[in-house]
Amino acid sequence: MDPEKPRKILVVEDDSDMLLGLKKLLTKEGYEVETSGDGIQASELVRKNFYSIVLLDLKLPGIDGFEVLKLIKETRPDSEVIIITGHGNLDTAIQALKLNASDFITKPFMKEAILIALQRANEKIAIKKKLKEYTETLEIKVQAAIVEIVRRQEFERRLIQSSIDGIVGSDGEGKIVIYNEAAEDIFGFPPAEVLQKKNINALYPAPIAEKIQRDLAGQIAPDKPLGWKEITISNRQGEEIPVRFSGNIIRSNGGTIGSVGFFHDLRQVKKLEQELIRSERQAAIGQTMASIAHYIKNILSGLQGGIYVANTALEKNDMDRFKAGWEMLQKNTNRITTLVKDLLNYSRARDPEYRMASVNEIVQEVQNLIEPRAREYNIKLTRNLDPNLPPISLDPQGIHNALLNLVSNALDACISGRERDDLEVKITTAQSNKSLIIEVSDNGAGMDEEVKKQLFTSFFSTKKGKGTGLGLLTTHKIIQEHRGTIAVKSEKGKGSTFIIELPKAEKAMNKGGQ
Amino acid sequence: MGKAVLIVDDDPDIILYVSTILEKIGCHTSGAKNGEEAMNKIKQNRPDLIILDVVMPLLSGVKLYRDLKVSEKFKSIPIIILSGISKQTFLDSQEALSEFTDQPIPEPSAYVEKPPEPEQFTKIVQRFVQ
Repeated sequence: MDPEKPRKILVVEDDSDMLLGLKKLLTKEGYEVETSGDGIQASELVRKNFYSIVLLDLKLPGIDGFEVLKLIKETRPDSEVIIITGHGNLDTAIQALKLNASDFITKPFMKEAILIALQRANEKIAIKKKLKEYTETLEIKVQAAIVEIVRRQEFERRLIQSSIDGIVGSDGEGKIVIYNEAAEDIFGFPPAEVLQKKNINALYPAPIAEKIQRDLAGQIAPDKPLGWKEITISNRQGEEIPVRFSGNIIRSNGGTIGSVGFFHDLRQVKKLEQELIRSERQAAIGQTMASIAHYIKNILSGLQGGIYVANTALEKNDMDRFKAGWEMLQKNTNRITTLVKDLLNYSRARDPEYRMASVNEIVQEVQNLIEPRAREYNIKLTRNLDPNLPPISLDPQGIHNALLNLVSNALDACISGRERDDLEVKITTAQSNKSLIIEVSDNGAGMDEEVKKQLFTSFFSTKKGKGTGLGLLTTHKIIQEHRGTIAVKSEKGKGSTFIIELPKAEKAMNKGGQ
Repeated sequence: MGKAVLIVDDDPDIILYVSTILEKIGCHTSGAKNGEEAMNKIKQNRPDLIILDVVMPLLSGVKLYRDLKVSEKFKSIPIIILSGISKQTFLDSQEALSEFTDQPIPEPSAYVEKPPEPEQFTKIVQRFVQ
């Protein structure tokens, strides 16, 4: 049906002349016109057919026009009814309008009045139709929007729930409104005891809870998240649980509406760290054992060899060779003595004693100790110290031993590489923002890659018969206890530089050094 | 008899010890205290057998062994490894070095762990000098 121009129209009028006239006029206007002269027939027609517009005279034979109007509005609410009344019959007209008639025209009527009333009825139909369409579309849209909102809410809920980090959200007053499964794992409280019941003060460590509360109250303006940091929380059972925490204040339209805290459980990580340290330590012990066994094998070879050589010499009465065998026995006995001494040195459970001390002073002491030996071999021993080096917390005896070891090594490297007469060992101190740097360099024998690789890892020595390979291992251990690093640069035939870095601020490891 | 044996070890005691063992069965022994010195001696005077230590300064036994085994001239000289490190460690380090060469490196003729036991060591050496 053309929405602008409903085709079907019913005219109900007992005056047959007027009926005819109206039919003629309306047909000419393009309507499909049906007519009826009485209320009963009109009611039947209305029941049977749908008319967009009904022109209804209220004074009818048979049934009263009002009854027909009521019927139309009950059965065909979309039909527009235009009432025809006698002139001056305003009360009737108003009554009809109350019964949802859309308009009225008074008899005797003019053609224009009818056309205007029809036009208005048509407009009304069109608007009604549009409204209906609009409402239907709106309903579909609202339905879709609701589905989307529910989907998103569900998605976000699951997102929060499935996070491996504990998530705790509060409203603007600090009352907890979000508490996921991971948070439950960490804090130990069931959600029913927390959600809407507890304040963040009950879960968070006091300083963090206080800060969030202050921020929520808007006392601190910047929208800066509380960065990740490692903290310890105590859970429902009173256990201390290490977590990495980060949080933020949630703002909207310039106000604070809540807070969120993320808790990354570190229990597993800490456990793995412990296990790693343990297994590394075991591996190190195993390696040390293997190295010691290897070293003892060498000594054993010397002892057995000495006995064998001496015995053979005795059989042949070869005094020179007997002496050589005897010397082998003596030398390897000495090697065992040195080994035992070095082992004791390495393993001696001396507690490091940390105090504020000057690295330059320790360098000075070491230099004084080494000076006579350096002079004996005509090796220049120089130092270049940063006078502004701040004192740091260290174990003076440990650092002394470590430095003494490095400087002795440098001297040995010079002695074994004596192909030049400008041999020099240099000790330098310097500093960066975060650390003190001690360098011990020599222009002695230097090392090839193979030797460098084995420096700190094995019981390795290039000083056959003299060194046990424990010196650098001990040095390494001391520097590690200070949370420092030791590195080496070396070139075969050109010399080596050992670089120790000690952190300025970092507190050294706990007593005993784990 | 009278075969020439080169003993390569940075420990002079081992050289003396092994020399004493080998002289008993009539070998002519000489010593070298590192791989570099050994290579020079081998070039001057090709030995019939080499007793080689693994861990040495300058040119290590691992490297010398490989250099000899890839040399057309010297690869036929039998080499007995005499070392404190295990055979497996030696083979592993050979494997690590083999990245630099296409040729497969044959295993040593014999492998003896320190300390050498004179009687047993003599038997092993005799396989190569008779």
